[in-house]
Amino acid sequence: MDDYLVGVLSNIGVVSFVALSAYLLLLTGAISFGQQAFFAIGAYAAGVATALWGWPLAAALALGAAVSAAAAAAVGLPTLRLHGLYFAVATLAFAEMVRLLFELARYQVEIDGELVGPNGADGFRGIRYIFEHDLGPLQFLALIYGLLAAVLIGFMLMERSRLGVALRMVGEDEVLASLNGIAVARLKILAAGLAGALAGLGGGLYAHLTTYVEPRMFDVMLGVHSLAYGLIGGLGTAFGPLVGVLIDIGLLESIRPLAGYRMIVFGGLVALLLIARPRGLLDEAAVHWLQRAWRPRRRP
Amino acid sequence: MLELRRLTKYFGGVRAVDGVDLTVAEGEILGLIGPNGSGKSTIINLICGLFPLTDGEVVFRGTDISTLPPHERVALGIARTFQNIRLFGQLTVWQNLWVAQKARGQGRGFLRGWLGGSRHDRVAIDKTLDFFDLGHKRDELAGNLAFGEQRRLEFARAFAAKPSLLLLDEPAAGMNAEEIDQLDARIRQLRREGVTIVLIEHHVELVMSVTDRIAVLNFGQKIAEGTPAEIQTNPLVREAYLGTQTAA
Repeated sequence: MDDYLVGVLSNIGVVSFVALSAYLLLLTGAISFGQQAFFAIGAYAAGVATALWGWPLAAALALGAAVSAAAAAAVGLPTLRLHGLYFAVATLAFAEMVRLLFELARYQVEIDGELVGPNGADGFRGIRYIFEHDLGPLQFLALIYGLLAAVLIGFMLMERSRLGVALRMVGEDEVLASLNGIAVARLKILAAGLAGALAGLGGGLYAHLTTYVEPRMFDVMLGVHSLAYGLIGGLGTAFGPLVGVLIDIGLLESIRPLAGYRMIVFGGLVALLLIARPRGLLDEAAVHWLQRAWRPRRRP
Repeated sequence: MLELRRLTKYFGGVRAVDGVDLTVAEGEILGLIGPNGSGKSTIINLICGLFPLTDGEVVFRGTDISTLPPHERVALGIARTFQNIRLFGQLTVWQNLWVAQKARGQGRGFLRGWLGGSRHDRVAIDKTLDFFDLGHKRDELAGNLAFGEQRRLEFARAFAAKPSLLLLDEPAAGMNAEEIDQLDARIRQLRREGVTIVLIEHHVELVMSVTDRIAVLNFGQKIAEGTPAEIQTNPLVREAYLGTQTAA
């Protein structure tokens, strides 16, 4: 595989984590414009862990996911009673706070005569774990997709379980969900925490993929895109947001003649789909139809 | 089984429910009637815990549950249906019942409760679906069902939570005569199985035929209570429905 293709595929894989993070919240009916913040927190935390503290990659990624999950649960608590636009604005405000915090935060350590670590708006250079440990781009690609596959399997199990059904119930009608015995508040916090962990994991991978992160990468456009992936690809299955990522990065950004028109086409696509298919290409009805076509007389 | 003590709910200046005392005995079917806006649905909402009381108490099996959140009340065995159908349209008929089924007794560990789904559970759901004549629709999305089927599914969903107290808010609304007969039969069957029922209904024949006792509300206050025969001859009830007789 040529380097360009590996790069594109790695990008698709990493961004899929944020897309799935936003998707998980969309299932519960929460439209978050702030998942990029947890991506950023995961990226910085995992980067600091390997570059400054010399942690192994697995531990660093786990730390990134854990810190992001904790932050997401902490945001989920005060925003529990917010819905729709208000929730969107609150999450956006939080994400911008996080971004500005990273613009200001400095935490550098001298390693081999060189200052390494987050340096405010100048970014965080030298997350060189994959070079220092001779991980080739292909190996890292395999790592990304291995983790993504594990996450997808988790999603598929969850969506077939009562938990998955309960999340969709909360998304469709919170009051009715509570009357079905669902502890709505607890479930929403759980979803927020899991979504944070997913974004954080993706962020950790991203930091090690690019070896360099800066606050500007985690602005609201990333959040808007990760939301749009689910809305384009569909909210009926976890493969929906992946379809969204494939369309955006795989098609629009990577095919060079199209790249210049990317934002125009992407924006148009979102608008078109919101009108024609408000819950995306692979919406619940489509998924239901596919399941029946494949497995007639399926026992859930 | 259920006792409402001076139950009161104000919405701003509107006294939706104003000091209602009401007792429902184990195993009985209580009818709750009254003109539109008399507070019937609000009482159901208060029993379920959808909004806080202004004053008074809801006592269920001897304990005050006035401050419990809705999902804990369901766990105690209180389930309901809605006047305007509320279902999860994006879920299948089967899934609509699946979660409700574990509304009681989630206590055996988080994972088992959420990921579980034993053979026994599945058989129970299929039985419920058959009872409500929905067996052939089990894999349809609830949103695609016809109106009458959605009404039955709503009833089935409330029943799947294995309630000991079932609150039915105008279950016959929009039904034809045949469907009402079926509803009547199902309500009686549930009573035989020991479910206590509070029935809000405008369909007079159904209420008179199926209930043991009727309470009448007007302007948020209870104006009469008694057997169907007593209620039919009560002058206050006539007045509430038809207005005061003025000297011609």
